[in-house]
This record gives sequence, C-alpha cells and structure tokens, in this order.
Amino acid sequence: MLAVVACAGWSAPVHAVENPVNPDESERPILPEEYASVSTELSGCFECHGVSGRPIEPAFPILSGQHFYYLYVQLKDFKAARRTSEIMQPMVDELSRDQMKLIAKYFSEQEWPGTGFKGDPALIAKGETATGAGQCVQCHRGAYDGDSRVPRLAGQTREYLFNTLSDFKHKARMNSPSKSSLMDSFDEADLEAMAEFLADL
Amino acid sequence: MSKSAWKKMLTGVFAIAGFLAVGAFTAAAQEVQGGTLYGNMQTVTQDMLNRAAGDGNNFLHTNGNYEQTRYYPARQINVDNVKNLRPAWIFQTEIVESQETTPIVVNGIMYITTSFNHVYALNAKTGAQIWHYKHKMGPITTYCCGPNNRGVAAYGDKVYMGTLDAKLVALDAKTGKLVWEKQIADPELGYSETMAPSAVNGKILIGTNGGEYGIRGFVKAYDWATGDLLWTFNTIPENSVGVWAENDATGRNMKRDIAAEKAALKKLGDPYKTLGGGVWQNPAVDLERKRVYFVVGNPSPDLDGSIRPGDNLYTDSLVAVDLDTGKYVCHFQYIAHDVWDLDAVSPPILTQVRDANGNMVDGLLHGGKTGHVYIHNRDDCSLIRFSEAMVPQEDMWVLPTKDGQRMLPGANGGVEWSPMTVDENLGLAYAINLHQPMTYHVESSPYPEGKLWLGGAFKVIPTEEQWGNITAVDYNTGKIRWKVKTPQPMIGGIMATAGGLVFTGEGNGLFKAYDSATGNVLWSFQAGAGVNAPPASYTVDGKQYIVVGAGGNVQLNYKRGNNIIAFALPD
Ligand code: HEC
Repeated sequence: MLAVVACAGWSAPVHAVENPVNPDESERPILPEEYASVSTELSGCFECHGVSGRPIEPAFPILSGQHFYYLYVQLKDFKAARRTSEIMQPMVDELSRDQMKLIAKYFSEQEWPGTGFKGDPALIAKGETATGAGQCVQCHRGAYDGDSRVPRLAGQTREYLFNTLSDFKHKARMNSPSKSSLMDSFDEADLEAMAEFLADL
Repeated sequence: MSKSAWKKMLTGVFAIAGFLAVGAFTAAAQEVQGGTLYGNMQTVTQDMLNRAAGDGNNFLHTNGNYEQTRYYPARQINVDNVKNLRPAWIFQTEIVESQETTPIVVNGIMYITTSFNHVYALNAKTGAQIWHYKHKMGPITTYCCGPNNRGVAAYGDKVYMGTLDAKLVALDAKTGKLVWEKQIADPELGYSETMAPSAVNGKILIGTNGGEYGIRGFVKAYDWATGDLLWTFNTIPENSVGVWAENDATGRNMKRDIAAEKAALKKLGDPYKTLGGGVWQNPAVDLERKRVYFVVGNPSPDLDGSIRPGDNLYTDSLVAVDLDTGKYVCHFQYIAHDVWDLDAVSPPILTQVRDANGNMVDGLLHGGKTGHVYIHNRDDCSLIRFSEAMVPQEDMWVLPTKDGQRMLPGANGGVEWSPMTVDENLGLAYAINLHQPMTYHVESSPYPEGKLWLGGAFKVIPTEEQWGNITAVDYNTGKIRWKVKTPQPMIGGIMATAGGLVFTGEGNGLFKAYDSATGNVLWSFQAGAGVNAPPASYTVDGKQYIVVGAGGNVQLNYKRGNNIIAFALPD
C-alpha cells in the first residue's frame, strides 16, 4: 500500500502541482572530500530527494536539514525492513552502517529548503487542534523542528506528511509503534488537517 | 548594606534555624571580608550543605536542603512588604526554550542551566555573567517533554550537570572549564539526563530519564573528585513480580487480570530488563539514617501491561537505599502494574509528621500524579495516610482500551515533576497541580529497539476545560487547608519562605506570591514567558532576592523565553 502511494507521486504528480518543488540541476552540489566514498550513492538519492534539497516530487520527503540520528535510524530501518518501502529498500540494501552514517550526516548538514506551501486557514486551525490533542510538541518541540531522534515536521511536504501519518495509522509504516497507536486515534480528515498545518509552518 | 537589614535577616534566620544559623552568619561575614564577589569564591563544604536549611544567604540544593523542604529561612521579604517586590536584574540566556533550572547560589555566585545543557555563572547581585559553558552534545539525545535541564549540584570547587546525551559533567566552579565527563548510560538505548544531580559526602548522585523507552532505571553514585562510579542501584530488581497487589495505595481496585498476568509471566519471564523505572528528580538525604529516599517512575511500556506481568517493582514507588552502598532499605509502591503513567516523580520531602497514633515521627511526603500527597514513616517507608485529592478524580482505575478511555486525572497529573514545599510552622505542604482531561489508549507492540515505547497513546480531550491549582495540605491530617485555582495547568515548582510566603509561577507568565497561611495573592509579576521553573532565594550584602527562570515549558507548550529574573525590595 505504501509503495502504491509513493509510486503514484513518483509517476503522476496529482493536485500537488499547485506548489511544485522544482529540482535545479545547476545547483548540483560539489561534495566535500569527506563524502567521496558515498558520492555515487548520494547522486542516486538526489534523483528523487533533489539536488538542492528540494524533492522532485511532493510525495518524496525533504532530507536536507533533517536530523542526523533520525535519518540514520530510518536508513537502518529500511534495510532491516522495519520500515518497508518498495522504493527505498533497494536504495539502502547495499549500504554499510558507516555509509549510512555518512549519508545521514551529509543531509543533516544541508539547509532545510522552503517549499512555499500555503495551507488553507480552516484546515490549519483544525490541524493545530489535533496536534494539540496528540501532545505532539512534547517530542517534536514547539516549532515542530525536532531534534536528534525526533524528525523535523515543520515545512515538510504536505503529501509526504499525509502519506506517512496515514501509513502509521494503517500500519503500513511500522517502525514507530507509538506513532501508529496515536494516529489510529485520529480520523483521515484529522490527518489531512495535521499535514496541512505542519507543511505550512 | 544597612545595619537594620542585616539585623532583620539574621533575626529571621535565628528564629527559624536556631543554632544552625551560626553557619550562615560565618559564611556571610567571610564574604563581606572578602570584598570582591568572585575573587574570593569559597568552596562548598559538606558542612555548608548540611546546614543549608538554616542558611539565609545561599541556595545550595536544588530543593533548598537535604530534606528538600524548599523552605527558605530568610524573612526580609515577607507578607507585609512583598507588594513592593520588583525586578533587581534580568539575565537572558542564549537559549530560548523550556526553562526548568533551579538556580544554585554560593556566596554571591549563581549557577543556572538551560535547555540543551548550557551552564552560566552569574554575579547574583547584578546578574552579570561570569562564565558560560556549552556542553558539546553528542548526536544522539533522547527526551520526552523537552530538552530540559533542572540545574547543577555544587560541591567542593566544582559544579555538576547531567546531559541529554546521558553524561555527567564536572566543571570548575571558578572558570566553567570541564574537569571530567562520564558516560552514565547509552543514549541510543533511551537513557538521558534532565535532573540536577545531588551532592553528599563526596558522592554525586544521579538517576535517569527513559521510562518512555525500554530502559532499566537506576540511581548511581559517582566520586565527586574523580568521577569514578561508586555504586549503582537498579530501580528494577531481577525479580520485579512483587505480591500481585490488587489495590492501589489508597485502597482502590486496579482491575488487574492476575490470571492473565500469571500466564504471561510463565510465557515471557520476568520483564525486568526493559521495564523502565526512571528516576527524574533529586533524592532526599537522611544524614542520620545514612539513607537516600527517591521516587521511581512508570513501567515501560506506559500503557500496555500485557507484556510486563507482575507488580513491576519498584516502578511507581518510594524507595530508600543506603547512602554509602546503594543497597536497598525499603520501598512502598503506590500503583502496582501501572497502565496510566500516573507515576511518582515529584521529589520527596523529609519532615516530622504525626502518625496514626498521634505521635510525631520522622516522616516523608510525596506529591503524586494521582493528586494525593502521600505521607510516610521514614523507618520502613510505610504509608501513614494520604491527603484528600487535590484535583478531580473520575473513573479511577478504568483500564485503557484501543479506542481510548477517559479517566481523571490525565497522565500529566496531579502533581507532575514539580517539587512541593513545606512550611513546618504551619504543618502545611504546598503542591501545584494540573487538571487536564485525557483519554488512555492501549495497543501492544514488542519493544521497538531504542524507540519511544508507550504501548498506546495519551490524548488530551481538546473540548474539555483545563486548569491548575495551588493546594495547601495539612500533612498531619491529610485535609486540604486552602486551594487556589489557576487558569492553566501548573508545572514548575514552588517555594515557601520564613516571610510567610509561597512563590510559584504560571504558564501565562505570571509569577506570584501567596500568603502561605491563607492562599491570598499578595503580589504578582508578568514575566513575558511561562514561569515553569522552581523558584529559589538568597541574600547578598544584606538584601534578600527571589529568583526564578521564565522560559516556558515544552510539555504543556507554554510560551518560551530565556529569562532568569531576580527580585528584591527597593532600597
Ligand atoms: C526513486 C526515488 C527515491 C530515491 C532514488 C531515493 N529515495 Fe529516499 N525516499 C523516497 C520515498 C518515496 C520515500 C518515502 C518512503 C515512505 O515513507 O514510504 C523516501 C524516504 C526516505 C527517507 C525517510 C525520510 C523520513 O523523513 O522519514 C530517507 C532517510 C531516505 N529516503 C533516504 C534516501 C537516501 C539516503 C537515498 C539514496 C541512497 C534515497 N533516499 C533515494 C524516494 C527515493
């Protein structure tokens, strides 16, 4: 189910085109020496997650400026199939722990890109109430910028946010059971509203 | 300083503390002789720490003294003049984030900490910065409820802090330079530190966070000079099963399915390795008995009891251990096999209490997330009585379900980590409380290796009103003497003084002084950000100060700031 969601975004951008996040080939980064050993792998990642930090599809998450330890854990989890994704699993299959750390470090040191997303005020208000009920700030902090093992949510793409919240709810994403229990207590409309609220931050 | 101010202060100290005040007097006299404040910084001796309850100059312990009464013996600021209290200085830290530090004041030097483990030394008279230490944080930190820190411990020529990446650091008190650093536990497994350490007899004591992860909690003692580990008390014994208690400390049935638990025990074995049991706050130290008393937090996973059969000792308990060896002495469990996270966090207080036969005995008080103040006998940890409920309780103990069950109090309490205070002259304990209706949801999952493990979810009910209160409890009867409602749930801490006052702050930025006998509001100040840190007090050059952090709070999402504000009376 997860793969279907992601692939839909990959091949046929849907209504999200109203806020396109465009790759800019001219901005292809020159990698510092310390990342030489993972330069091929990183080029692969840029194909989807973007060369300048902005993903080529809104269903692909922003990695640039995300927290190191969160990224590293996700990569480990994809490889061990604790988090399943038909797209991501082959990307990490061959990676060693050290490579994962290096890749995670690279992305964590990049600047978080803006998406320019402007949400619907009524939905945002509904989303804010829902995140309040979920006490999300206890871990994601007041600005929803996360820290260490807790991901930044503020300004993430709306599509990815909704997909992943929904994947938690429907147990397509299994690598944080406490998130599944929490999302299970919300209905689909709440998840839409939360994604709208967070993407707009 | 005026002579009369001196006199007034010293009289106050003498009146309350009797012979103990001699220590305070000596310290003050030396400081005046020394001339400059930080040219002559004295070390913190064991004797000073022992006498802290009568010391109207310093604030040497996170909770005021080893008994953790948070009762400050100076009375220059009192019921008659508190209306004139005004800011003496404001210090702004580099970190605009949740502020839970208790300032420690040693001979005119103040040590404060911030979120993300910065430490500042300040001139306590002027607020001027002396040094600033910024901990080099490792990439892996774990915390529920904010990147908080609750302050330093001062001992000898050093100050000590626990860090979010689960280290204990010792700094040179004069310069702020790192002297040594020890890894307390592995942050990748969910361990971290937010509590202030405690210092006693050459030992630095510290517990651990992590009850929302599959940790095994502990209290550890380190050598103050070398940082060598002296002892470890595991809060979860290898046999954590207990006595299959069916009722909580107040006699209410907890609806346990003991047959199912026994079957699970056969199948799964003792769950002690990942059973949680964090220790979030400072122990009280009984120097005569050579014991430390602390409370242990919730079992992991919080809401799912099905995979952790038994009473889950010593979670949700008061525990006493031997100060020299860390060996178990006694315990009392409030809630066996807790599935609501209504655990024990607020630091215990040692005081004299009336027992069931009317005799005064060495007692101990703990403010629970359940909303009760529990009153114990210190000899064997046994419960003497519990107070009337300070907040509404409804449907206790309904079991969590998949779709969620409403129960009051919500999982933040009652009394959260916020320390209480006592005024022994009035026989009152003061607690700050939350009323925050929630639903409790359970969903079982095996331990997701180093990830948040709640076994379900807690949800605030957004349509229901939330509020807080300050409650004064007569600990000799368990009756509530007075209660003042606040517009928001309360978190942070409270301090009583010999001036007949209690001080506490609110999420809306108001910092207030109450008449400790009646609860009348006598003074308030708008700090511009949530006042959710425990207040402290001290005296420099004959002037008494009240100091508090105003940085807001992550857990309840109160407005963040970065201020440390010291208040005094006009000259
Ligand atoms: C073909 C497109 C594609 C490529 C190439 C790709 N990814 Fe992904 N990535 C995705 C999609 C889609 C997701 C969302 C997966 C999901 O949640 O099911 C994702 C998710 C992730 C996540 C989780 C982010 C989060 O916020 O939880 C990480 C980390 C990640 N990718 C890293 C990488 C790395 C490193 C590479 C290169 C080695 C890479 N990706 C290559 C499409 C891609």
